[in-house]
Amino acid sequence: MYDTEKLGTDVNQTETKISARNVQVYYGDTHAIKDVNVDIDAKSVTAFIGPSGCGKSTFLRCINRMNDTIDVCRVEGDIKIDGEDIYDKRVDPVQLRAKVGMVFQKPNPFPKSIYDNIAYGPRIHGLAKNKADLDEIVEKSLRRGAIWNEVKDRLHAPGTGLSGGQQQRLCIARAVATEPEVLLMDEPCSALDPIATAQVEELIDELRDQYSVVIVTHSMQQAARVSQKTAFFHLGNLVEYGDTSQIFTNPKDERTESYITGRIG
Amino acid sequence: MNDQHIVSAFDRDLEGIQAHVMKMGGLVEAAIGEAANAMVARDQELAEQVRAADKAIDALEELINERCANLIALRAPAAVDLRVVLSVMKIAGNLERIGDYAKNMAKRTSVLVHMEQVEGAHASLKRMAHEVQLMLKDVLDAFIQRDVDLARDVLERDEGVDQMYNALFREFLTFMMEDPRYITPCMHLHFMAKNTERMGDHVTAIAEQVVYLVTGSMPEDARPKATRLDA
Amino acid sequence: MTDTTQNTGAVTPISSLHTLDARTKRRNAAENRFKLYGMIAIGIGLLMLVTLLTTILSKGTGAFTQTFVTMEVELLESKLDKSGERDLEKIKKVTTFGYAPLIKTAFEKTVEIHGIETDLKSKTMAKILSKSAASQLRNYVIANPDQIGQTIEFRFLANSRVDGYMKGRVTRDSIANDKNITPAQLDFVDQLIEAGALKKTFNIDFIIGADASDQRPEAAGIGVAMMGSLFMMLVVLALALPIGVAASIYLEEFAPKNWITDIIEVNISNLAAVPSIVFGILGLAVFINYMHLPQSAPLVGGLVLTLMTLPTIIISTRAALKAVPPSIRDAALGVGASKMQAVFHHVLPLAAPGILTGTIIGLAQALGETAPLLLIGMIGFIASNMPETVGEGLLSPNSAMPAQIYEWAKRADPAFYERAWGGIIILLIFLISMNTLAVLLRRRFERRW
Repeated sequence: MYDTEKLGTDVNQTETKISARNVQVYYGDTHAIKDVNVDIDAKSVTAFIGPSGCGKSTFLRCINRMNDTIDVCRVEGDIKIDGEDIYDKRVDPVQLRAKVGMVFQKPNPFPKSIYDNIAYGPRIHGLAKNKADLDEIVEKSLRRGAIWNEVKDRLHAPGTGLSGGQQQRLCIARAVATEPEVLLMDEPCSALDPIATAQVEELIDELRDQYSVVIVTHSMQQAARVSQKTAFFHLGNLVEYGDTSQIFTNPKDERTESYITGRIG
Repeated sequence: MNDQHIVSAFDRDLEGIQAHVMKMGGLVEAAIGEAANAMVARDQELAEQVRAADKAIDALEELINERCANLIALRAPAAVDLRVVLSVMKIAGNLERIGDYAKNMAKRTSVLVHMEQVEGAHASLKRMAHEVQLMLKDVLDAFIQRDVDLARDVLERDEGVDQMYNALFREFLTFMMEDPRYITPCMHLHFMAKNTERMGDHVTAIAEQVVYLVTGSMPEDARPKATRLDA
Repeated sequence: MTDTTQNTGAVTPISSLHTLDARTKRRNAAENRFKLYGMIAIGIGLLMLVTLLTTILSKGTGAFTQTFVTMEVELLESKLDKSGERDLEKIKKVTTFGYAPLIKTAFEKTVEIHGIETDLKSKTMAKILSKSAASQLRNYVIANPDQIGQTIEFRFLANSRVDGYMKGRVTRDSIANDKNITPAQLDFVDQLIEAGALKKTFNIDFIIGADASDQRPEAAGIGVAMMGSLFMMLVVLALALPIGVAASIYLEEFAPKNWITDIIEVNISNLAAVPSIVFGILGLAVFINYMHLPQSAPLVGGLVLTLMTLPTIIISTRAALKAVPPSIRDAALGVGASKMQAVFHHVLPLAAPGILTGTIIGLAQALGETAPLLLIGMIGFIASNMPETVGEGLLSPNSAMPAQIYEWAKRADPAFYERAWGGIIILLIFLISMNTLAVLLRRRFERRW
């Protein structure tokens, strides 16, 4: 018989990459995120689930300070990556976003060539010394994005000409091209068909050994399939956070249970 | 927690499989009782009826398994719903085995009818069967009412059944040593007692499923150990 | 009905799909009526457009042709260069009066050559030519002094009455009270036509030439005004495009959304609706009276038109920026681009076709604008021809196409009226080609994402 207790501690022993303490987010007068505390593991996939408007995307966008671009948005509390407060005055969001890559809901390649899509990030961050370097980064990133074989013969074709699933993998490749440590994904499969979704999920699973992936998803099944830990948000609160297998078989909170079993919650 | 799913057909499906389990449980309960009665009354006809009734139980198990498979495939149940489906499948399996044991008792009754009657043993065996039947009734109630306490109670009562079996075992041993003519009927009766004891174990397994269904984890304390045959 | 039902065994439908109920009929009728109204409206619009175009074309095309009299002229050295030194300074001293006798002689000769019988004196004959005929000849001689002493074939501009006679505007009845021309002269014109000396041909001078005085409508051209317009457009382009685009980018991408920016936004929209004459007054007050910039100068005109065009450019640029999907900005920010990099590397290139289109349309609007130009005096009368006016550029007085058209339409002589229509044709050609360019740019660079 397995000692489940011991397995549990093994999971907990992994290193914490992102730690959030008492995070509050306000949109003008709306209190969108209420007192969220969470420790996100390094090199694992953490899923945020919850009904629409529960604040999961908002919280995700706090992690790379994408909320800074919204005037009325105010973030309080601490979010630390590797122990460094990312809302510290000394932190430049641009630098932070190179370290914390992001993939969006709708595949949004730049209307440029596939090559330029990948090369853009390394170029602006000065990661390549010369053309050969850049070529190498592009190839490596496309391979990591599991799309190299599909596009290697048409690197200079427009990225917008690819299928939806390919575009999304291109966007993931673009995100990893800047050598991030954390990858945030905001409903990356919501615009994709099931096959493309499966391919992206497979890719996410592969990315796990190099990056800390945080994924927001509306599909509970997807969260169950790709993540090691799951956080359930409801009305701006982090209701429950734990191992995915536990959340999906035996959630502790009634609201979590109602949500994942498809009852009115 | 709200009891109703947003998709009401999901509720209907879940209720459907549980209703089938209850129906199956009822049939099995009756089979145990009748098998015991047939044994005491040496009623061959009743024994035949019990053997025939097992077909319905088997068919129900098949139906429940099919429904559960569909439910998993189509509705992707999670958390408590998943546990319901999983425990229903296991309970149906356990009930089916109990039904088989009852059938086996009936079969042996048909043989025993033509043999010397072993005085006194029948009553003890019937008491044991009755106890198992009660446990089954209770565990089914616990299942449908999600009553963990009742399920735990059933778990503990299994020890009583085991002790009854041990007592019967010694009794049969004595009979056989006293008179070799009793060896054949006593062997049959011993198997029936063993069957009843196994029924008790399956009822225990069902009780464990009920605890898992409600709490999400198997009962912490290890199940009462099965009979030690070092006597 | 029942028969068929029995035959096929089908169930009788509760309501047949093959017959329309009253409600459906009414609805369809209403829809058809609406379509009809739409077609009528479009028809009226098209009819007006066709009327407009045919009127403009029928009245304006005449301006592109002009009547000329071709004669052999002997450039007598004794009259034009008494010294015989071919010294340009001395040749220039001979005024147009010195050339008049040559023209008279040329007429006498022409009559002789073609065997035209007429009672008219050579002085009266010469009256059928434009008042600028002598200066025309003089300009030619000054440009080609080596021709002096030779006999050349020269094309003289005919008088506007003669031109009008050729174009049907002037008849023997209409000149009853006209001092400028007599029926006898018209008879002479007829004889010249027969002889082939008087012809109506295409007149390039109308397109490239300068304006002319009230007395000589036949010599007037729109070319100089065109240059004035061109200079103004250059000023508008050089000022409005960078200012407008910079303002829009800041407002759209960087400015915080608060009541100040709201007020600015509302005011920009309002400015676009401000009558152009207000900008004219503003220009007059600020640029001329306060800053003492020269009147009638394309620089001032350009500044005023810049003010007028800015809101248009800002509004269209902001619309173009808004049309760029936010996902592109997110994508750029997501890979760690700064706000400015996101805007300049990704948003602006995508918005460029829209910005260009808006700018061109703004320019076209400015090109056709008249009222503010009248107020700042962009109706300079420039009679000297092209090379002299072009060089002086932004600060020398000039006119603009619409102002020139307005000027001509105002003058008494119907020959000017024709030129006004001709000017409108040219202006329209400019506007249409600019709009076409805008459409082409949009088509060419429009991207789908």
